[in-house]
Amino acid sequence: MHIPDAFMPIPQGIFYWVVALVFISLSLRWVRQEMDETKVPLVAVLAAGIFAIQAFNLPVTMGTSGHLVGGALAAIVLGSPYAAVFILSLVLIVQGVIFGDGGITTMGANILNMGVIGGFVGFYSYKGLMAATRNLNLSAFAAAWFACLVPALVTAVEMWIAGTFPLDLGLAGMGLYHAAIGVIEGGITVVALHLIASVRPDIVNVTKGVTV
Amino acid sequence: METKTFVAAGVVLAILIGVAAVFLASPDPDGLESTALIVQGDKTLTGDTPPDAEVNEDAAGRFSYESPLPDYTMGEEMGKTGEIVALVAGVLVTFLAILAISRLVARPVK
Repeated sequence: MHIPDAFMPIPQGIFYWVVALVFISLSLRWVRQEMDETKVPLVAVLAAGIFAIQAFNLPVTMGTSGHLVGGALAAIVLGSPYAAVFILSLVLIVQGVIFGDGGITTMGANILNMGVIGGFVGFYSYKGLMAATRNLNLSAFAAAWFACLVPALVTAVEMWIAGTFPLDLGLAGMGLYHAAIGVIEGGITVVALHLIASVRPDIVNVTKGVTV
Repeated sequence: METKTFVAAGVVLAILIGVAAVFLASPDPDGLESTALIVQGDKTLTGDTPPDAEVNEDAAGRFSYESPLPDYTMGEEMGKTGEIVALVAGVLVTFLAILAISRLVARPVK
């Protein structure tokens, strides 16, 4: 889902950068208000893990592969969508600047799609599903699936505005492929949540009193 | 689990996932690239991706940037070793960048 520079006119890239910068500054305010120094290494490990898993593309049939994005995972583990914005912004900057995975002018759009939209959709759909079902596995899986699908559909619309994809083909391709990739997103998110909760339950306090 | 152990285990696990990705990751295009191939007429929605299909990134008037380690490699001559070094470097740079920025911004422990 990493948009390369060639897929978007520079002025549109600047617009998405401005929107992304607003959310990056809000995420830094979240770090300042909600994080103390004891949690810093744990957040850094989560970011390193998300970077590594993003490099591991798994086949989803239809001649396509996909990987975890991680917005829902970061937001659920740390209890805020701004955690996803903070972590995904850094991951996407490293990927774009050092590895050319995603463009420079399109980095704002990538941060907006995967960090902001992925984080907010993942966090609030998780909260809503938990309130309705009290089932962590179901809620985390579905929230991560939505957090993969919705940014993909938004990307298709951005590609249409950029003149890169026709809207119908873009929505069909991005929607179908990321509905399949979302199954990977959901599965890895649930496994990672259990793994982290089993060794550091103090940082995943969303599991208290919940059917796992 | 103590924080130091958790951090060490987490970084080692991330490096192992990165190294495994070098050998086991699917070479198929991701969702955005597959959609671009459909738009180019090189792929159908549910069909396989032809082995020689490439996403066209030659658009006029767009920004162009050469990254130091493109596509998580150190060039063809370095092969898999270069890919492993690139991914391990990526894991460590991400870890250290978040560590440094968070330490600067987060509340100190009283």
